[in-house]
Amino acid sequence: MASRSLYSEFTKGIWKENPVIILLLGMCPALAVSNSAVNGLAMGLASTFVVVSASSIVSIIRRLVPAQVRIPTYIVIIAGFVTLADLFLKAYFPAVAKSLGPYVPLIVVNCMIMGRAEFFASKHTLLPAIVDAFGTGIGFTWVLVVVGVVREILGSGSIFNVMLMSEDVFTPWVVMILPAGAFISLGLMIGIINYFKNLKAERAK
Amino acid sequence: MTVILVFLSAAIVNNLVLAYFLGICPFLGVSKRLDTALNMGFATTFVMTLAAAITWLINNLILVPYDLPFLQNVTFIITIASLVQLVEMFIKKTSPPLYKSLGIFLPLIVTNCAILGLALFEALREYTFLEGLFFGVGGGFGFTLALVLMAGIREELEFAEVPESLKGAPMTLLVAGMLALAFMGFAGLLSV
Amino acid sequence: MSFKESSAGMITVMTVVAIIVGSILAGFYQMVSPRIEANRLAEEKRAIFSVLPEAKDYVTIDLEVGEGDDKESLMIFRGVDDDNAPVGYAFVSEGPGFAAAIVMMVGLNINTEELTGMKVLEQIETPGLGNKIAMEPFESQFRGLKIKPAITYIKNKKPESDNQIQAITGATISSVAIVKALNKTIKVLMPFILEDIRNPVVIERQVEEEAVPEPKEEEK
Repeated sequence: MASRSLYSEFTKGIWKENPVIILLLGMCPALAVSNSAVNGLAMGLASTFVVVSASSIVSIIRRLVPAQVRIPTYIVIIAGFVTLADLFLKAYFPAVAKSLGPYVPLIVVNCMIMGRAEFFASKHTLLPAIVDAFGTGIGFTWVLVVVGVVREILGSGSIFNVMLMSEDVFTPWVVMILPAGAFISLGLMIGIINYFKNLKAERAK
Repeated sequence: MTVILVFLSAAIVNNLVLAYFLGICPFLGVSKRLDTALNMGFATTFVMTLAAAITWLINNLILVPYDLPFLQNVTFIITIASLVQLVEMFIKKTSPPLYKSLGIFLPLIVTNCAILGLALFEALREYTFLEGLFFGVGGGFGFTLALVLMAGIREELEFAEVPESLKGAPMTLLVAGMLALAFMGFAGLLSV
Repeated sequence: MSFKESSAGMITVMTVVAIIVGSILAGFYQMVSPRIEANRLAEEKRAIFSVLPEAKDYVTIDLEVGEGDDKESLMIFRGVDDDNAPVGYAFVSEGPGFAAAIVMMVGLNINTEELTGMKVLEQIETPGLGNKIAMEPFESQFRGLKIKPAITYIKNKKPESDNQIQAITGATISSVAIVKALNKTIKVLMPFILEDIRNPVVIERQVEEEAVPEPKEEEK
C-alpha cells in the first residue's frame, strides 16, 4: 500500500485507469446522459458522490463483513447512497432530476462503483479508499462532460444550454443527441485517444 | 392486445440496448462470439422475465401500498441479486450441462443494468402484471437480438482491416452506433 | 470458525446493514419529501397559470371517470380570478406520441368553446423534429382555438378555420397525437366541466403554504 503514493492513487483514475475510456466501465450512463454538457456534469457529480461515499463506508466496515456476503452488503450500501442522491436531486434540482430520469437510480449498477468497492476499498484504509474513489469519480465526470459538450455542440448548436450558433448558420446534427450519436462520439473519442497513445509509443521506440 | 404491443415495443422499437443504453457492459463484453452471445442472451432473458414478475409483485403489493417508493432501488437490486443466486443454484443442481453453458454468465447478470432498468421502467410506467411480464420477455428478447446481431458483425470484423487505433472497443462502439441508426427505422411504430 | 464466518454472523451483518440503510433512507425521505411535493405543486401551478392566463388562483376538483375496470381518477382545475369567480378550467391530457406518451396541460375558457392555452409537460419526441411540439410557435396555435365540433389539423398550409392547427412539418405524428389526445380528453371531461359550471363543487380553501415561486417564463 505504501508503495504507491496517494497522489498516484488519485491521478490513476483520471487518466491511466480512467473508468470509461480505458476500463470501459460505467458505459450505460456515459452513453445515455451525455446528450448535453449539463446532464453529463450532473451525472458525473452524482456518481462521484456515490463512489466516494460507498468506498469510504466499505473501507470502514471491511473487517466486519464476512467474505461470502460482501457483494450483497456492498450493493445495499451503494443502493442506499444512490437513493440519497436521487432524493436530493428531486428535492433541490427538480429540472436536473427530470432530465436524468431513471438513469439516476441506475447508478447502482454502474460497474465502476462496485469495482472500486470490491477491488480497492475493501482492501485499503479509509484515506487511500477515498482518494482512489475521488480520482475515479473525477475521471468519470470529465469524460461525460467532454462527450456531453461535443454532442451538445454538434447536436443542438449550444453549449451548457447557451446557444452558440443560430439554426440559420448551422443545422444541428440531430443524430448526435440520439442514441446512435452517443455510440459514435464515444467510439471516435476512444479511437483518437488510442491514436495519440500509439503515436507516443512509436516515438518512444 | 396491449401485451403484444408491450412485447414488440420492448424488443424492437424501444430496444433496451440500442435506444435506452441498458446492458451496455455485456453488450460490449460478451459479443465477441455468436454462441456465447446467444447463451448470455438466453440467461438474461430468463432472469429478466423472473425479475419483471417478482419486482412487480414487490412493488405493487408492498412498496406502493405502504408508501415506500424510496426503497424501490434497494429492494429491486437485492431481489435481482438473490434471484440470480437462486437460479444459479437451481441450474447447478438440476441440469449440469446447462450450468456449464450458462453458469459463468449468471454472476455477470447481477450488474447488468438492463435488468434493474427494466424493473424501474416497469414500475415507472405502471404496467399491469401481465404487461410487466411481457415487458420482461420482450426486453430479454431485444437484448438477445442486439447481442446476437453485434456478435455476428464482430465475427465478420475479424477479417476486416480496421485502423490500428480503432481496434477493439472504439470499433465496437462505432458498429453499435450504426446498429442504433438502423433500429431508429423502427422508431414511432409503437409507443407503449 | 469465528462468529463472523458463521451463517449467523453473515445474517447478522446483512440485517444490520439493511436496517441501517433502510432507516437512513426513511429519515432522509421524511426530510425531503415535503420539498419534492412542493416542487411538484409549483410545477403544476406554473403550468395551470400559463394555460389560464386570467386565473389568479385555482381549485382542484377530483373526479372519478368510467365504470368498473376502466375507472380512473382524474382532476380538473377551476381557475378563478381575484373575486373567486371562475375564469376557465385547466386539465391534463395525455396520449401516445411518436416515441412515448405526451402529457400536456390544457386551458379551456369559461364558455367552454375555445382553448386558452396548451403546454406540453412531458415528451421525449425526436429532438429537432417532434420536440418542436413543446415550443412556443406550436403551443401558441392552441391559444384561442375553437374546440367545436372538434380540433382538426392541416399539413403544410396555414389553418383554414378557427378549429384548425398547422401540423409541424416532418413531425405530423407528434402534432396529430396532441390533437387526438385533446379531442379525446375534452370529450371525456366536458360533462364534468359543464356540471361544475352549473353546480360548482365547493372545496374548502387550502391554507396557503409557504410562497411558491411566481410563475415565470420557462422558455429561453
